[in-house]
Amino acid sequence: MTEALPRRAATLALALLAAPVLPGHAGAQPRDTLTIGLSQATGTFHPNIESMLAKSYILGFAMRPLTGHGPDWKPLCLACDTFPTLENGQVTLENTPDGKPGMRVTWRLREDLRWGDGRPVTAEDMRFAWEAGRAFETGFGGAEFYRQAYEFISTDPRSVTLRFDRVSFDAGSAGSFQPLPAHIERPIWEADRRNYRSRTAYDTSTTNPGLWNGPYRITAVQPGAGVTLERNEAWAGPAPAFRRINIRVVENSAAMEAQLLAGQIDMIAGELGLSLDQAIALERRVRGRFRFEYRPGLVWEHLDLRLDNPVLQDARVRQALMMGIDRPRIVQSLFDGRQPIAATSIHPDDPMRDPGLVPWPHDPVRAAALLEEAGWRPGPDGIRRNAAGERLSIDLQTTAGNRSRETVLQVIQGQWRALGIEARIANQPPRVLFGETLSKRQFNGAVLFAWISSPENVPRTTLHSDEIPNAARNWSGQNYPGYANPEMDALLEALPQELDAEKRRPMWSRLQAMIHRDLPALPLWHRADAHVWPQWLQGIRPTGNMSPSSLWVTDWRAR
Amino acid sequence: MLGIIAWRIPQIAVTLILLSLAAYLAIGAMPGDPISMAMMSDPRLGPADVERMRALHGLDQPLLARWWAWLTGVLRGEFGYSRLFARPAAEILWPALRGSLLLLGTALALAAILGTAAGVLAALRPAWRGAVDGLALLSQALPAFWLGILLIILFAVTLGWLPAGGAPEEPGMAEAARFLVLPTATLAIAHLAAYARHTAASMAEVLRAPWITAARARGAPERRIAMVHALPNAAVPLLAILALDAGVLVSGALITETVFARPGMGKLLTDAVMGNDHNLALLALLLVATTTLLATLAADLAQRALDPRIGAGR
Amino acid sequence: MTRLRLGLAILGLLALAAIAAPWAAAWLGVDPEMPDLLARQSGPSADHPLGTDELGRDILARLLYGARISLAVGLAAALASTFIGLAAGLLAAWRGGWVDALLMRIADGLLALPALPLLVLLAAMDPAAIGLPRGGALSDVLRIVLILALFGWVGVARLCRAAAISVLARDHVRAARALGVSEARLLRRHVAPALAAPLTVAASLAVAGAILAESTLSFLGLGIQPPASSWGNMLANAQDLVFSAPMAALWPGLAIALAVAGAMLVADGLRARG
Repeated sequence: MTEALPRRAATLALALLAAPVLPGHAGAQPRDTLTIGLSQATGTFHPNIESMLAKSYILGFAMRPLTGHGPDWKPLCLACDTFPTLENGQVTLENTPDGKPGMRVTWRLREDLRWGDGRPVTAEDMRFAWEAGRAFETGFGGAEFYRQAYEFISTDPRSVTLRFDRVSFDAGSAGSFQPLPAHIERPIWEADRRNYRSRTAYDTSTTNPGLWNGPYRITAVQPGAGVTLERNEAWAGPAPAFRRINIRVVENSAAMEAQLLAGQIDMIAGELGLSLDQAIALERRVRGRFRFEYRPGLVWEHLDLRLDNPVLQDARVRQALMMGIDRPRIVQSLFDGRQPIAATSIHPDDPMRDPGLVPWPHDPVRAAALLEEAGWRPGPDGIRRNAAGERLSIDLQTTAGNRSRETVLQVIQGQWRALGIEARIANQPPRVLFGETLSKRQFNGAVLFAWISSPENVPRTTLHSDEIPNAARNWSGQNYPGYANPEMDALLEALPQELDAEKRRPMWSRLQAMIHRDLPALPLWHRADAHVWPQWLQGIRPTGNMSPSSLWVTDWRAR
Repeated sequence: MLGIIAWRIPQIAVTLILLSLAAYLAIGAMPGDPISMAMMSDPRLGPADVERMRALHGLDQPLLARWWAWLTGVLRGEFGYSRLFARPAAEILWPALRGSLLLLGTALALAAILGTAAGVLAALRPAWRGAVDGLALLSQALPAFWLGILLIILFAVTLGWLPAGGAPEEPGMAEAARFLVLPTATLAIAHLAAYARHTAASMAEVLRAPWITAARARGAPERRIAMVHALPNAAVPLLAILALDAGVLVSGALITETVFARPGMGKLLTDAVMGNDHNLALLALLLVATTTLLATLAADLAQRALDPRIGAGR
Repeated sequence: MTRLRLGLAILGLLALAAIAAPWAAAWLGVDPEMPDLLARQSGPSADHPLGTDELGRDILARLLYGARISLAVGLAAALASTFIGLAAGLLAAWRGGWVDALLMRIADGLLALPALPLLVLLAAMDPAAIGLPRGGALSDVLRIVLILALFGWVGVARLCRAAAISVLARDHVRAARALGVSEARLLRRHVAPALAAPLTVAASLAVAGAILAESTLSFLGLGIQPPASSWGNMLANAQDLVFSAPMAALWPGLAIALAVAGAMLVADGLRARG
């Protein structure tokens, strides 16, 4: 009699577990929607406040920046007609009112560009962006750009001219300077500039169509979880293929892979998706179900060395460390040979790369000889010692929780150990590593991380001696190694002002030769993004630069 | 009873204020503030920019002063803006709280029902005892993320029966329920053991009590004894577990939420703490602390009301 | 009783395995920390009984070395929380008054806070700031033990306080006190024996909790740093590649489950006896 009780309870439990399963829905995805997995959540949707990769990917569908870099890495116009150059007369040299050399750059806005509420994008939208950018309390990024652009001129609704107080070869690139909907945002900004950051319509009414001027507009936001985009009816360019695009944030990479395999997400964005080794492992298993494309991008993985550490001060030791790393083997076995080995920070596809400069080879014999020469001889425990009996031991750090980097670090540790160099791994969470250890120069050995840049980007902030962070400068600057070389300083100052590309070339070669020899940072490789698409999706062109592939969404087609 | 409430409520208030201070200072003391991170992503910020940005974000004030400003704001009902999401903190909190309540509410209810049932079973049928014990042991011994991933591999990837995580695209109860099954199962399995063990132990104790023997002697059916006499009494200690779980209900389940990519309080709390988002982190922390403290109080009161041994007189 | 034996046997075997790690590695002829890029993710073989991980290191050797760290974290965290909890609980019960009120409000507060976000917060703190060395497995173990003890003592303290109060309220204890028996002797002769049983139960539960907590911290990237292995970081590493190499995730998961189950069996057995 008492038997009935437990059995009934068990049946109930089974029913509870099973009930929701029954209305199983076999997922033949309708092809007018596309669901994209992204590994990072976004905060603000305002294009100029805080720069985040996830935001720039999402805004690529919904906003046209003035200019960008195409998949061929050439600068191009996105919201303007023709890219301003000296040759086409849209860039002219002139003097500033106080007699310094300066320049004047004119962009002409595309005629068919409209906000989602039907109003045309005009010079007034640019004027608002410029005014808001120049007012510091607005809190826009890229303060340097707005400081240099001292005057805004507009002669007609489509013409925008800025005057700059200095000369630069890439003046035509507008960076993050782009139209903002003045008819919505200006009143909010003027009412309370200091709190514009939290009052902007981009965050208080993100789904307002009038905020968006791209092929899509944001129609729903789930903070921290995703975004829904739908076609922008006011878009006059080529029609995009999908009625709706869902962006789903999946921060755990195993969960991302599972959702892809379970058919819940159609593709994984290469800009922020699977790590390369994970994508390679996935491709081996599901070849045929998905398409994989690996695009080496402008992301330079390297080890910053602390140059004022007495051990690392010796260039021979730095060179020995460099030649002690077997980069070809690491790239081959961990990354399937998909990441180009770096000679310097300059990417192989960069127009200013010096092709004559070959990456340092893996040469343990030469490395050992250099260490001997520098006075480091093998000790009893296999670790080298100098005349004073000190062990050759340095810290080796990277971001904790980034499995791919942790893996690489352990291989490097092993390879250095074979040379008699002890590396102590001390990884830290990203905010500690970037916010304190690196930026306040509290590291003492080598730190593995990456810089993201754009084509022909002059590496002033990482190499100029003025950019070594210290307390007096509020720890600004990114020359973390502490590299100080007067010749380099002069070169970095002269480079932007040389307008003739052919005359810049030898200067770039000299710069590369110097960092190749001095090794303030040990170059590893240029990171490749792994794009994963369904077989039925065509037309995505990964760019490998700061302009995300989503800017060309109108080329995407479902088969 | 009222006296206890009148005495405990002020204590809870003081505890909450001190907790907020400790949490504020701890978050502020973490290395790496928002401006350092902004400097990393915008290389052209000069020394003067950094100084002005600190002033703009209020970071030039001492931590204590910032905490005081925050506290007076909260007492006026202003919870401030979330730094990470650029929206009012309360607006960010709601969806996460809803998600956690749904997920953990289902999971804990399931765990309580199944766990209690298993405990009753173990107490009434000694033959089952070993099996229940073994299952309880296993369910507590598995790391949650491991279990979650194993479930995803089996049910979502291999069999394709259930979604691997995320939120439903289509509205509707059935669809929402499908997305709930795996994370609920992961959590319910982890929480079930405590209920099973406690029920089994206290049922066994109650069943040995003289008045149960008396009821048996009167010829009451065994089922009636178990369900009507023993279980309500055995349930009293379970109230303490329920009270602690009330805190879990609002504090969410970080690991399960991460593995199944569901928005929830666990993820929100961790992101806010790690992202230096004082307003959001403190609001969420205080919500959890208040719920736990009040639930503990409620459980105390309920225990006093239910259990003749903790009479109000003592 | 059988449960106690079974639990002790499991833990004993795991401890033996941990102690034997260097010999086992030497016998297998492998270095648990040295990557071998030519032998990544290979299946079980005579050289590598459980195969190799994503860096070509022997999984068995890493499991055995991992046992040292995971068990050390478990035991040390349990000991630390038990010790602090015992002291706090005894003090609260013995002194009463405002000491009791203060300690118990701190305990309430800690219990009311969600533990995981705070563990994360503490784990992100710079160990150098409180004088711990940076880097190396030992400093990681110390850091994790400190964090876990900070939250772990609360439960033990409440338990001790309740037990001690009930002992101190007994008639013969009050009589002994009235007769002028010294407080130290009182605590030693009467209170301590009454605490022994609940304390050992709490301690063995704390071992289980700490081993699980270490794996959770590892999942969040805040556990034991490589190249040293712990079960938690092996499991966390393997879960990233769980679809291509599921077995690498299986072994550390089983090891954790076994150790936790062992500790809980001990707790159960002790409870049943006491």
